[in-house]
Amino acid sequence: MTSTRRDLFKLAGGAAVGALFTPAPWRLVTDTALWSETWPGVPRPARGEIRAKYTNCSLCPAGCAVRARCVGEQPVALMGVLEHPFTHGALCPFGLAGHHLPYHPARIAQGPVKQAAAAIASALARCAANERIAVLDLRPGRTASWTYRRALAQWKNGTYLTPPRTLGGNLAVNLAAAKTVLSFGTPLLDGWGTPGNVIAAREGFRLIQAETVESRTAVMADQWLPIRPGSEPALARAIANVLGNQPLHDAALETGLTEAQIVAAARELADNGPALVLDARERPEILALNQLVGSLGHTIVMRREAPVPAEWKNAVAATELSAVPDGSVRVLLIDESAPGPYLPWSAVEKKLVAENPVVVAFAWSGEGYGRHAQFVLPTAVYPEMVDDIPAAVDSPAAMFRLSAALVPPPADVVNPAEFVAALAQISATNTLRERADAIHKSGRGTLFTYADAKSTALKDVKADGFWKALNEGGCWMDAVPERQEIPKLAFGPPAATLTADNLPLAVVMAEAPAGLGSPILSKMYQESNLRLAEDRVVLHPTVARECGVEDGGRAILEAGCGRLDVLVCEDPGSPQGVVQVAAGPRTLDLCGSSPRAKVVRA
Amino acid sequence: MIGPNKQIRAARYGMTIDVDRCTGCGACMVACAVENNVPPAHAGATDRNGITWIRVYKIDNGLPYPETRSAFIPVMCQHCGNETPCVHVCPQQAVDVDPATGVVGEMPQRCLGCRYCMAACPYHARYFNWWDPAWPKGMEKTLNPDVTPRMRGVVEKCNFCHGRWHAAKQQAAAEGKPDTEPVQYLPACAEACPIKAIQFGDLNDPAGAPARAAQSGGSFRLLEKLHTDPKIYYRSKRDWVRASANAPHPFAGQHEAGKENHRG
Amino acid sequence: MRGIFPFAAGAAIMLVAGWAGFPRAIYKSRPQPVDFSHKVHADKAGQKCEDCHAFRPDGTFAGIPTLDKCAGCHAAVMGATVAEKNFVEQYVTPAREPQWAVYARQPENVFFSHIAHVKRAQLTCDTCHGDHGASDHLLPYQEDRVSGYSRNIWQTADRVKTTRAAMTMSACVECHRQQGLEHSCLDCHK
Repeated sequence: MTSTRRDLFKLAGGAAVGALFTPAPWRLVTDTALWSETWPGVPRPARGEIRAKYTNCSLCPAGCAVRARCVGEQPVALMGVLEHPFTHGALCPFGLAGHHLPYHPARIAQGPVKQAAAAIASALARCAANERIAVLDLRPGRTASWTYRRALAQWKNGTYLTPPRTLGGNLAVNLAAAKTVLSFGTPLLDGWGTPGNVIAAREGFRLIQAETVESRTAVMADQWLPIRPGSEPALARAIANVLGNQPLHDAALETGLTEAQIVAAARELADNGPALVLDARERPEILALNQLVGSLGHTIVMRREAPVPAEWKNAVAATELSAVPDGSVRVLLIDESAPGPYLPWSAVEKKLVAENPVVVAFAWSGEGYGRHAQFVLPTAVYPEMVDDIPAAVDSPAAMFRLSAALVPPPADVVNPAEFVAALAQISATNTLRERADAIHKSGRGTLFTYADAKSTALKDVKADGFWKALNEGGCWMDAVPERQEIPKLAFGPPAATLTADNLPLAVVMAEAPAGLGSPILSKMYQESNLRLAEDRVVLHPTVARECGVEDGGRAILEAGCGRLDVLVCEDPGSPQGVVQVAAGPRTLDLCGSSPRAKVVRA
Repeated sequence: MIGPNKQIRAARYGMTIDVDRCTGCGACMVACAVENNVPPAHAGATDRNGITWIRVYKIDNGLPYPETRSAFIPVMCQHCGNETPCVHVCPQQAVDVDPATGVVGEMPQRCLGCRYCMAACPYHARYFNWWDPAWPKGMEKTLNPDVTPRMRGVVEKCNFCHGRWHAAKQQAAAEGKPDTEPVQYLPACAEACPIKAIQFGDLNDPAGAPARAAQSGGSFRLLEKLHTDPKIYYRSKRDWVRASANAPHPFAGQHEAGKENHRG
Repeated sequence: MRGIFPFAAGAAIMLVAGWAGFPRAIYKSRPQPVDFSHKVHADKAGQKCEDCHAFRPDGTFAGIPTLDKCAGCHAAVMGATVAEKNFVEQYVTPAREPQWAVYARQPENVFFSHIAHVKRAQLTCDTCHGDHGASDHLLPYQEDRVSGYSRNIWQTADRVKTTRAAMTMSACVECHRQQGLEHSCLDCHK
């Protein structure tokens, strides 16, 4: 008997039919389906006990209280602390995703620490008599800031630089006392001050927003004054004229408002007090209105600083960047670990010596000053870092709260304050504890602890307990003194505005600066266009047509000192003659000093 | 089906969103993505193919600058209670309405990716995974253990944070409460909203804040003319905001109907 | 007649392979890291299952105790068994968590609440886990080669017919349907 090819097919056919009557094929289908549910490439979340840890967000000067939902030790979600007497449980979208930052693709975890130290030492050795070593501190008032000031006092030419500010240091804003607020482009409801406090105070005041574009704050304001770009000082002058019974001249023409609108706003400021005038750029001629409407002592108040140890008082004073002579800084150390206002690089660069300046940026990513510095030294990032957060601009009382480390930082990060202290050969290892002890010794104010939502008078807390509470989620709030001193506003000269006539469009920073955030913020910037990304510009369709660009197309934004690749978004609600951009390190470097630009096809 | 031998008091979870309070900050969108393990955007994602279970649209009154006035309106799955469109069209029975909660639930693992439901949904509240979910290295440690990440090729949408609902039910069991009463919990967006514009609760509870707000003046729902009985109620005092609820798409601005507004 | 023979032979081979060979071949068996005796621990360490397999205050189930709970007693060798000596040397002293293979491990998208079943529905542990708690040795872990899940929760010969051996969705649904507790997919899926 010989087997034929046909028999083989019969065998195979029989096998196939036979297999159908066994569990094997059906089982394989089920198993494959089960396997495919956890397809390789889809990560599996770690499981474990859910715990709560508390800290304070150090991403911006607001320092909102944070409750972190942790699996084991790892934070998986952040939320506010509802009972907090000042931050009221509010968190902004940037803070809500802060726990992603250690894993940001732009994170730097290693840097040339030794080379930077050597370069600084050699630059210091050949520092001429009129040249300086300077630290630029973007968030002054911290304990680290005191360390910088003490360290810089060790050198005869040490300079401590801060961004220019009128409000936020020893002058604070008391929103709760305000009845009328006139805001010149301040993002009052979009990240200014402490969001929870602003929201809590919002019911109590009428908000007039003078701003070229309809920002988030303008949308929510009681009245929006759509003024011409750059005409804020003119409007302030016009209001001052109304208050002083002077003629308005051509203010209406200059600002694009009607005279009636200007007079009404001025009357409201005068009649419905206490009033408050805020300006996004804190221009002296605008803040001067506060003196006219009697805000000082009511809505703008003096604030004591949180106590510091007496032995720290040998420290240099703060200098504003503009007060430093051009070409005089040989060594510049920039602390970006605690983000604050970004100063355009051109303003910083002209203060450096012409030959071989040493610029070191302390940052967790190279996206800020790291783009310009010779050395970028990695720092811890929230929520890895341990730092204190001074009171925000809208807190009438001093505060002391810690951003405690929820996850350990990478091994090679640098603590900027300790790095500078080591250069100056002073000791600065335990400064936060020393500061906490100094505050405790003063016995003033109250301690609010997050886990149990309790306020305790500081004099009823022991020093060790105070320190422990601060590290486990707590906030010290100073007592507001009973007798208010009337503050004085120091007004500098009006800022000179550069005009560049060949650039047809006025630049409006439509999106408040936010810094580098979690990758999940793509939900707002990329997967929807709720917020304007730094690489996008908004134009009126007519303007876009004039520029030869189209909606969704690539274009180049050109200003006096450079150019930037951008994506065009058309918005019929945008004013003509204006290009809206988001405030970020790149756009501020480009447009921060000259407010005009043009858009051309890429 | 609720079986005959178990009497439970059914809930009808829903929301009221005060459009006049919404500042358009985006906290709800971020909190939602964090809670529900929605990955960051793929490099090629746009506002047409990204995944945002809750999306805040900017709408305006259609007048030219400077008369233009805008509002922000968060839109997520409206949890239609009547003839739920996505349930009807799903060939996989991957979508169902829970009779005990009123929540329209979806099982991404059952989904075959035909996207019929996306076409059927009048609210554009369903999203398709065009790419493998990818988190930057290390960021997968921050995933929420209560929600499964989805794979490429399936549709997903808001389910009122059922991970939190599970957790609330479990907590109720630990406290010895019976399972016949609906549990109280807050979805991530309602909890994260800094200005508390989103209120969440059982619409069957007449004393609850959402139910009272839904009955008050200025309350409206999106595309009410379709009679889908959505469980998301909106409120606004402004007439043009209420009128825009009948536009076919939130970003079909009044300027040029049907044309996408890139700022939206 | 002869023409049908190859067909019948093929069918017969597959029937035998599919019924006798496949159910064995689909699983691979591996031992647990430690030869743990529930019986000894029930006598000496705790009276009830909850003494080691506890609920947390939020209602979640802690599952298999972690090493620090074991090390509370087994910081050094207490008894004379080889299993304990190995456990202390290989895990306690180097502080290494044993990688237990969990018989009841569920797919990622399953939400199973122990407390709802134990406290609310008053099910006893052995309804699903059999006599696991009274056993003297851990059974080898039989893992499905394709899906990766365990063959059963706790399979003993006399148990196959009486109780649910494997925790499959059909087994869950069957009981939930009887109880009138089958509402929607998201009841049990996450």
